[in-house]
Amino acid sequence: MRRGAWEPYFYVAPSVLLIAAIMVAPLITGLSYAFHDIILLDPLSGDFVGFDHFRDMAEDDSFWTALANTAVWTSVSVALQFGLGLALALLLNHPLPGRRLVQALIFLPWAVPGFLSGLTWAWLFNPVIGPLPHWLKAAGLMAEASNILSDPHVALWGPIVANVWWGIPFFAITLLAALQSIPKDIYEAASIDGAGPWRQFCRITLPLLAPTILLTVMLRTVWVANFAELIVVMTKGGPADATQILASYIFSLAFQRLDFGYASAVAAVLLLLLLGYAAAVMALRRAMAERG
Amino acid sequence: MRKTLLLAAMLCLPPAAPVEAGTALRLVEVLTSPERTETLKSLVASFEASHPGVEVELISLPWGSAYEKLATMTAAGDIPDVVEMPDRWLSLYGGTGQLESLEPYLAAWKETPGLNDRALTLARSVGGTAYMLPYGFYLRALFYNKAVFRQAGLDRPPRTMDELRADAARIAQIPGKSGYCLRGGPGGLNGWVMFGAAMAGTNEFFHPDGTSALNDPGWLAGTTWLIDLYKDGLAPRDSVNWGFNEVVAGFYTGACAMVDQDPDALIALAQRMKPEDFGVAPFPKGPDGKSYPTLGFVGWSMFRKSEHKDLAWALMTALDGPAGNLVWNKRTGALPIYTAAAKDPVYAEPVYQGWFAELADPDVVPTVMPTDLPGFAYFADSLVVRSSQQALLGQISPATMNRQWAAYLTKAKRKQAEGMK
Amino acid sequence: MMLRVLRILALAAFLLFALFPLFWLLKVSVTPTDLLYGEGVRLWPSRMTLDHYVSVLRHTQFPLFFRNSLIVSAATAILSTVAASAAGYAFSRFRFRGKAWVAGLLLVSQMFPLVIIVAPIFRLLAPLGLTNSLIGLIVVYTAVNVPFAAFLMQSFFEAIPKDLEEAAMMDGATRFQALRQVILPLTLPGLAATGGFVFSAAWSELLFALMLNSSASVSTFPSGLLGFISKFSVDFGQMMAAAFLALLPVCAFFFLIQRHLVQGLTAGAVKG
Repeated sequence: MRRGAWEPYFYVAPSVLLIAAIMVAPLITGLSYAFHDIILLDPLSGDFVGFDHFRDMAEDDSFWTALANTAVWTSVSVALQFGLGLALALLLNHPLPGRRLVQALIFLPWAVPGFLSGLTWAWLFNPVIGPLPHWLKAAGLMAEASNILSDPHVALWGPIVANVWWGIPFFAITLLAALQSIPKDIYEAASIDGAGPWRQFCRITLPLLAPTILLTVMLRTVWVANFAELIVVMTKGGPADATQILASYIFSLAFQRLDFGYASAVAAVLLLLLLGYAAAVMALRRAMAERG
Repeated sequence: MRKTLLLAAMLCLPPAAPVEAGTALRLVEVLTSPERTETLKSLVASFEASHPGVEVELISLPWGSAYEKLATMTAAGDIPDVVEMPDRWLSLYGGTGQLESLEPYLAAWKETPGLNDRALTLARSVGGTAYMLPYGFYLRALFYNKAVFRQAGLDRPPRTMDELRADAARIAQIPGKSGYCLRGGPGGLNGWVMFGAAMAGTNEFFHPDGTSALNDPGWLAGTTWLIDLYKDGLAPRDSVNWGFNEVVAGFYTGACAMVDQDPDALIALAQRMKPEDFGVAPFPKGPDGKSYPTLGFVGWSMFRKSEHKDLAWALMTALDGPAGNLVWNKRTGALPIYTAAAKDPVYAEPVYQGWFAELADPDVVPTVMPTDLPGFAYFADSLVVRSSQQALLGQISPATMNRQWAAYLTKAKRKQAEGMK
Repeated sequence: MMLRVLRILALAAFLLFALFPLFWLLKVSVTPTDLLYGEGVRLWPSRMTLDHYVSVLRHTQFPLFFRNSLIVSAATAILSTVAASAAGYAFSRFRFRGKAWVAGLLLVSQMFPLVIIVAPIFRLLAPLGLTNSLIGLIVVYTAVNVPFAAFLMQSFFEAIPKDLEEAAMMDGATRFQALRQVILPLTLPGLAATGGFVFSAAWSELLFALMLNSSASVSTFPSGLLGFISKFSVDFGQMMAAAFLALLPVCAFFFLIQRHLVQGLTAGAVKG
């Protein structure tokens, strides 16, 4: 047994070394900036400032707005992606003519680069060059055909729609896989017992899918919370911070103000929040596994 | 014609200095577009031809990310030799000692006397030292859509701000058309400054004691005027988030009939509008009979850490000598830096008359933005955009907005004063 | 019967939603520039043109960017899949000290916006000469993609019973030989799926491509696309033509492997 004890380390070593060198070490460096005054290109910066950035953050309206927007952006995007992805997976789980072709086409949005989908949707929402505002007006949802990306009350919906478009395939694929792994006999037995499709869904499908759902939703939530590309490309966080999320705020702090110190402090806060969230989900998963 | 100019450019080059084989120079352009890159490449090729053994690597940064890209590169030690330097970035690089002073080179250059006064003054905006050699100026003027004006029954462009507002109101009555293409998004600061200064009757950003004047009643009246223009529906509703491309697109699709812009917008417009459908007029004057169009400039700078300074200067003179400058400005649309160039046939076209009229008018006071202040880029690109959008949308009052601007600029001025001690 | 019709309608709606933006991208790429704004809202331009495509292929450096993207994405896909398979295998088959820590490490690496490590990575790679190079990008992309790829490979391995290697090892093979000769052939769909996923992720990446590389000779197509956005105009026609050309390989690739992705994930999903 001694002989084999080093085996697992041999297998994980390449990955661990690479991630430690390229992601973790820079992350630690990056987070250390949070306690220093680092303004890129300013030779006089670099002093240790302790918790000053965090103190400033508490009084920074833009930060709190971005935090609130992050919550909305993440929860709405993931809920819609999940809900629609699940619906799509359920639809694809039935034999249908041409299903393979349909399936392959429906998953194409995932192959499109994020910034490109942002550009295309921004184009679609622009009344001068895109059809959506006019269709929305015709459907009675808008009083006049204007650009929702310019209206602070609804601007966030633009990137959300683009995000949902792009993210449905991810959930559809993983949930379809999970659905297809449930043996058909369980459903047959339930039908014989008289359970209708809704009851089968609630009593069989959901519980068996639960661990997968929990893990994929958690992963996706973390990704979406960090996903600034769509917002930066479509609205740059505007108008007036209406679409600014923490990830895009960090981007603008780092690359417009060149204030890497403050940007890293905000990133540290975001990281802590997401770690807390992940820990909560893992605990929930363990509790469910122990019960079920 | 182009070939003759290029030939002339080649002949004007300084004699090749003896150089080791295989010297590489790095040239970075930031206001990148396919046409500019092509022009630069041909200017660079003629430079390489007259300096055998020298290879110039042209790095074209996409404009949208050029600011952070250049900052990241230079902060990490990846420093080019010559870089295209917009006025807004000068304090960031010049003020922190990263650029080489060009004074000794200018003193020895035979073309220096041919530069107009403005060129040299602007080159020295940071610390009184020439950290860049400008290649052209951008002066704002009023573009107006002649076709829409005719439709509204107007036969000439507005000459005062009151006339502008009245004309905008008439045009807004035509269904689907609006009066003014407001730039509420990125890059809108120049518009705010011009209207603010016109109403204030002055373009002074600061009081003699170093506090910002932006909070004064005159400036406040100006920004309020523009905000009211938007709130009263005389600018398109979406314009609160419009940047350069949207503003120009709004203009040439006829969605709004007037826009304030620099000569470089001509290039985009000429491709999409017929010459008889638009005109350029001097910027309308304020109540006291003066207007304050903003003056911007871009040029070439040399980094202090360059290892081939003399060669870099040679490249700069190839790009910016009288012949090279003419070729370049034909492409970029900027106003020339050489006193003699104003007579070139390129600038004789009717569209340029608006700008030359402005330059000749004593009641037109070109306004240079305080780009030498530390943190000015953040002010212009982030603070102003956010607060002006909030004001346009009615989330904050114009008074609050002006107060925020004044507070930031006062702080920046103080920081600059401390830095110079 | 009614249910079936509803299902078909619902699928059609999803299909429309998924494909419409791609259709619009195609439409813009064949619209002549002067009609771009004037006829913006039409579903198809009154006059089609292939000029943008010709321009992109002949007058820009797009073929070079395309080639660079291909090299970087393929290399990243191969390296990531190899490293991730090893890690995924270890997670699936072994229990070892520090397993939770390694898992935690992989998880944490997904939890922060990559923008804050751009500057440190630049400083790390510059002295090694890896900035402004394709190799530098490949190294960074591999590191960024390995965590999720390992997660995928782990679930593919879970689907294969452990007894198979045990049997081979009892016959005298080392674990590594058993892995190579018995297990890997069975996970080929999983390998293809993971490779395809990483390929499309590397293909689409923008931030590091923009920040680490500046010369045109090592630029990838996303930063090339941004080059169509100049300060003074956006050449949408050419940009969308280039985008469409760039989407073709990755969409085709995705088209072919998505079935394996579903199949492979199926096995490990419920246990996941």
